[in-house]
Amino acid sequence: MRRFLLSTAALIALTCATSAQAQTKIELQRFFGACDADYGKVTDVSKAVGECGIITSLINKFEADNPDIDVNVTTVEWPGYDQLNAQLASGAAPDVVSMHYSAISDYQSRGLIDPIDDVLSAQGISPDSFTDAARGGVTKEDHLFGLPFDNWTMLFHVNLNLMKQAGLVNADGTPILPTSAEELIAQGKQFKEKTGKPYLVQILANETAAYARVLYTLLQQQNADFFADPTKITLNTPEAKNVVELMKKIKDEGLTTTGLDYAASVTSFTNGDGGIAVNGTWLIGDFVAQSEKEGTALSGGYTVYPVPQLYPGRDSTYADGHSWVMPHKDRTPEQTEAIGKLFKFLAENDFQWARTGHLPAVKAVFAMPEFKALPHRENIAEIAETGRSLPGAVQRQFAIQDIIGEEVGAAVNGDKSIDEALGSAESRINDLLANI
Amino acid sequence: MAESYRRSQWSNGLFILPYLSVFAVLLVFPLFWGAWLSLHKVDLFGPGRFVGLGNYTRVLADPVFLQALRNSIIFVLVSVPALVILGLFLALALNKTTRTTSFLRGLFFSSSVLSVTIVTLIWRFVFIPGDGLLAVISEQFGIQPVNFLSTSGWSLFSVGVATVWWCLGLPMMLFLAALQQIPNDLYEAAALDNASPWRVLTRVTLPSIARTIMLVTIIQIVMQFQLFGQAQIMTNGGPNGTSRPLVMYIYEVGFVRWDVGKAAAASEFLFLIILVAAMAQYVISSRKSEVSE
Repeated sequence: MRRFLLSTAALIALTCATSAQAQTKIELQRFFGACDADYGKVTDVSKAVGECGIITSLINKFEADNPDIDVNVTTVEWPGYDQLNAQLASGAAPDVVSMHYSAISDYQSRGLIDPIDDVLSAQGISPDSFTDAARGGVTKEDHLFGLPFDNWTMLFHVNLNLMKQAGLVNADGTPILPTSAEELIAQGKQFKEKTGKPYLVQILANETAAYARVLYTLLQQQNADFFADPTKITLNTPEAKNVVELMKKIKDEGLTTTGLDYAASVTSFTNGDGGIAVNGTWLIGDFVAQSEKEGTALSGGYTVYPVPQLYPGRDSTYADGHSWVMPHKDRTPEQTEAIGKLFKFLAENDFQWARTGHLPAVKAVFAMPEFKALPHRENIAEIAETGRSLPGAVQRQFAIQDIIGEEVGAAVNGDKSIDEALGSAESRINDLLANI
Repeated sequence: MAESYRRSQWSNGLFILPYLSVFAVLLVFPLFWGAWLSLHKVDLFGPGRFVGLGNYTRVLADPVFLQALRNSIIFVLVSVPALVILGLFLALALNKTTRTTSFLRGLFFSSSVLSVTIVTLIWRFVFIPGDGLLAVISEQFGIQPVNFLSTSGWSLFSVGVATVWWCLGLPMMLFLAALQQIPNDLYEAAALDNASPWRVLTRVTLPSIARTIMLVTIIQIVMQFQLFGQAQIMTNGGPNGTSRPLVMYIYEVGFVRWDVGKAAAASEFLFLIILVAAMAQYVISSRKSEVSE
């Protein structure tokens, strides 16, 4: 009996030691949702659809290709920064975290994330292999602070079946989209009259990001330099008033869905409850999949375009992007090497990620025939030129987005006057930035 | 009494040491740490600098804090009476020993064991426009559906409905326990006097459980001032901050804006409010015991 117990204990110890030696563990924390029921075991990335499906199968594939590396994935509620802050404060940060370009300056300025130049160069990845927009998003003080993964913007996702019904389709089958604020209202009214449905499907409840992104886009289109000083916003301007007046008019005329949060607005568009969903690049893959199915509201009738230029200033769209950063912590050389391998794998498979609808961060993907063959990408290619982010030195961009969303939302819903809302947003944001 | 006092030793205090140490580490230390933080300009990640009462001035001058304070007070004023009255009503209705009442007690208490995520998910299905239960019912009757979660006034109301549904179990159980303590001879005497059911309720039942009513009210005031999860998940504090409670304000300032000093100052105000409620309970309960003596 004693011999049996001793040999069992020895066997367990040996197994543990072997597995500890064999596997380098890295903790990866990300948003993009959880879909283990559908993609938990999938390693054929080409079969996956949507952000969650593709990133889950990419990590599965990486683990299958690198049996010596164990990637332990934690999925957080979007955007997950509150949780990350708590982890950083308690010294329990993960090894790799998904992060928006717009959030990097907060963490970099406090020394909470590490530069990854050496990690990339050890794997032979040149910073020049990334697009200018992507590299610019992760570069702070001449160092790369994250692996750029994509660029994204808000888009006009169009239900062509309803647009045909509304008489808003050209002879070549492309949708007729507005070229000015007045045209947008006129086409919205025409759409509503012919279909009985709202023209736009917007996220107007329980989320602040959509309001802020639309405001930034339409301010950029009027050449408004609202962050001329990165520590101070200027919102009490005629340009900002134009935008909020337009957003309010769209709502007051019944040209948009109201009261929908993010999930409900996506469902509403796929159910055919409105003509144009104002939502992000990440939904292209899902909506294309819907349009290829029989019997859906989007069957054979989906296309997508950048947010149209509504003001004569310039064609511009607010853009941001996703990256992978390394929080500042002690790691073994094996872990750092494993992260490097993961980064190399993700960069090499950026095409797969671009199937979600995001613009690739790796230049070479644009030249790939497979990328060129992806549906609707030629419609949105101009975003590479017209996409603009906020100045990189602006901190607390997510908190700013929350304030703008709340105040602009109040004005659009008639809870505050437009002047009052813009004034309040300006003073709240400037108080926030003055107290960093 | 004197004998047992003489026999007591300081080492007996060791029995409470485990509890006392956990209490000191998890409650007393954070209490003073929070007060210290509130006097500093500090974020989550390092030492700050002393700013005196600056954070308190900033909090009091912040219209968003004042709005959150007002929201919390309104929420407590509406949800606490609802919880007390409904809890009492259910307890009175279920204060019998039949199978049906036992089943119903369990049923009404069952919502309390759910997590806030599940509770808010359920009520989201009820309130969400378009496919939500209330929207579908309104459309059936040809009424324009209300956007409960994104309309000023209605959003806090919706959070309140979900909260009352979630928290009703505890008041009901406390009232049931109190009702079962009332001596039966009081009811027999009332029956001999041919007292009406209303008279029995107001002259026998309610006076007998008066202290429990007070206890439930105070517990609920303390709990409902700490409203957070339901508001964050159902309405995110909107629209226009009309459903943002105090705790959500503290969370946003501390964790989203990294302004931990200001968040700590706001927490001290919340602590003060809850302290007053707890003291009120202490004062009222000690006064009652004096009367009974």
